[in-house]
Amino acid sequence: MSLAIVPDPEAMLKAAERSGRDWWRRLFHRPPAVIGLAGVAVVTIAAIFAPLLSPYSPVASSFQHILAPSFSPGHLLGTDELGRDVLSRLIYGAQPTLEVGLLATGLALVVGVPIGLVSGYYRGAGDMIVMRVADVVLAFPFLLLAIGFAAIFGPSLRNVVVALGIGSLPGFVRIARAEAMALREQDYVQAAIVTGVRDRVILFRHLLPNMAGPILVQATLTIPGAILGSALLAYLGLGEQPPTASWGTMLTAAQDHLFNDPWLAILPGLAIFITTLCFNLLGDGLRDLFDPALS
Amino acid sequence: MQDLLEVENLQVRLFDRTGPVLAVRGVSLSVGRGEVVALVGESGCGKSVTALSLLRLLPASAQISGSIRLDGQDLLALNSQQLRTIRGGEIAMVFQEPMTSLNPAFSVGNQIAEVLRLHRGLRGGGVRARALELLRMVGIGAADKRLRSFPHELSGGMRQRVMIAMALAGEPNLLILDEPTTALDVTTQAQILDIVRDLRTRTGTAILLITHDLGVVADLADRVVVMYAGAKVEEADVYELFETPRHPYAAGLLRALPGSAAARQEAGPPRLAEIPGIVPTLRAPLASCAFAPRCQSATDQCRTQPPLLAPCGPGGDHEVACFHPESAATVSA
Repeated sequence: MSLAIVPDPEAMLKAAERSGRDWWRRLFHRPPAVIGLAGVAVVTIAAIFAPLLSPYSPVASSFQHILAPSFSPGHLLGTDELGRDVLSRLIYGAQPTLEVGLLATGLALVVGVPIGLVSGYYRGAGDMIVMRVADVVLAFPFLLLAIGFAAIFGPSLRNVVVALGIGSLPGFVRIARAEAMALREQDYVQAAIVTGVRDRVILFRHLLPNMAGPILVQATLTIPGAILGSALLAYLGLGEQPPTASWGTMLTAAQDHLFNDPWLAILPGLAIFITTLCFNLLGDGLRDLFDPALS
Repeated sequence: MQDLLEVENLQVRLFDRTGPVLAVRGVSLSVGRGEVVALVGESGCGKSVTALSLLRLLPASAQISGSIRLDGQDLLALNSQQLRTIRGGEIAMVFQEPMTSLNPAFSVGNQIAEVLRLHRGLRGGGVRARALELLRMVGIGAADKRLRSFPHELSGGMRQRVMIAMALAGEPNLLILDEPTTALDVTTQAQILDIVRDLRTRTGTAILLITHDLGVVADLADRVVVMYAGAKVEEADVYELFETPRHPYAAGLLRALPGSAAARQEAGPPRLAEIPGIVPTLRAPLASCAFAPRCQSATDQCRTQPPLLAPCGPGGDHEVACFHPESAATVSA
């Protein structure tokens, strides 16, 4: 039997062509990451196909079935104080949750990454100002910001997204800046400069793709924070307004029935917890993937 | 005829945390069209800084004075847009470290294509055809397959070939090779040198070769400039320098080569000659010969007065900055 110690050029070429698939394979070799990915997939499917999946409308109340317990006929997870189907509300509740999580993170990414990129590449006085501002934003309680937003502009999903996006901004600025500072010293960036490539092209064509990994990880780890934040704001009545089904508003409504019907609070709480956990697991898995030194 | 590159009295002052460093102290050199000039010296002697200043790659805080002319155009007076057309289009540079000089996020073809679009204005199918041609020129087999390869799939020697292909893509008049073979193993070195020699005869590109490897110098160069402590100490035709080095430092470098005449004549077990001492720091202007503390023939004059470059030898194109240049006799003895 011949051991494959001598590299076979054909095999190496084939391996290289496979490297795209290899990426997935490596992700699937980490059970926590797989669990995370599965959970994220379930929540995403629930959000997209909510009208098909849920047995009832999330806002249809039925006064014959108020506060029905779990496993009652027709209502798997029971009903709430207005006789609305809890399962349907949970499924529909995935929509605003994901929406806020993704939009707030996307906003922070789209604004924060270019700022960090330019800041880290050019350094200088501008960089110092950017970093001090980022420190201030980081130290500023986003909850207060969100409450202020709601007070001034009225409670709405858009304001929640903006408030959470601003709160998540420093993370992206810092990551992109740190990566830009490290990458600009790379020989290939020097080589690009020597080739006469303009700065804009160096920043967005040469640097940006090389920091895609860390930024993706940062995004995956920011989403759960934004989800928690949105649930919190909804709970406080600053986000989605009743009767819209969201996990945060479900919690608010459930606190009046905490002793008689604890499941009304536990179920949306679990939904928030599991979703957040799954995003975090996925983010950790991705980080391991992009940072071989950690694994 | 006017030389392609003319550097006159180049002075570069760099700043680090502890203050200014005079990294290049009045270097003049020229590279003719199609000529290969080697810039030789040990680490920290200013040879890389000299090369980087040609492309204005030094940090913004660096102070450069003197003049650098390419085809009569003053490179130090260019604005950033003019500089971009020079970089890659007129002067291209190949770095020492092929493992990190290619962008890991793009295929080889993509990176060559960028240069072709930027400096040759090629579009569409012409880009691919030219990229293939360039890869074949630097001796890469299965070039069409390699265009799609990513840097991590290539060996060091292959990557250095790609770097050379990229440098040639802009059809520069001057190619700066900064220690092009230092990071490669010996067989690969020889292959790369073959390619460079071949390209030189085919394209007629002038080459400024920066190295501390005298073997590479002997292999490629027409003319040699020896630098020490930020200054040029000797310049000569390559044959002349290897036969009759005049500066004690250049002579010492040659003696330190394994297999040199001097090394073979040592009695007892063979031992390589070395140059004692270390390179002086370049903080203060020197009021003496920079090499004096390490030089066996140094006199009081060497320690109180810097020697100036002066012609020596019959041809008049051999220059040395030394009060007591070695004669042909002392070297071969």
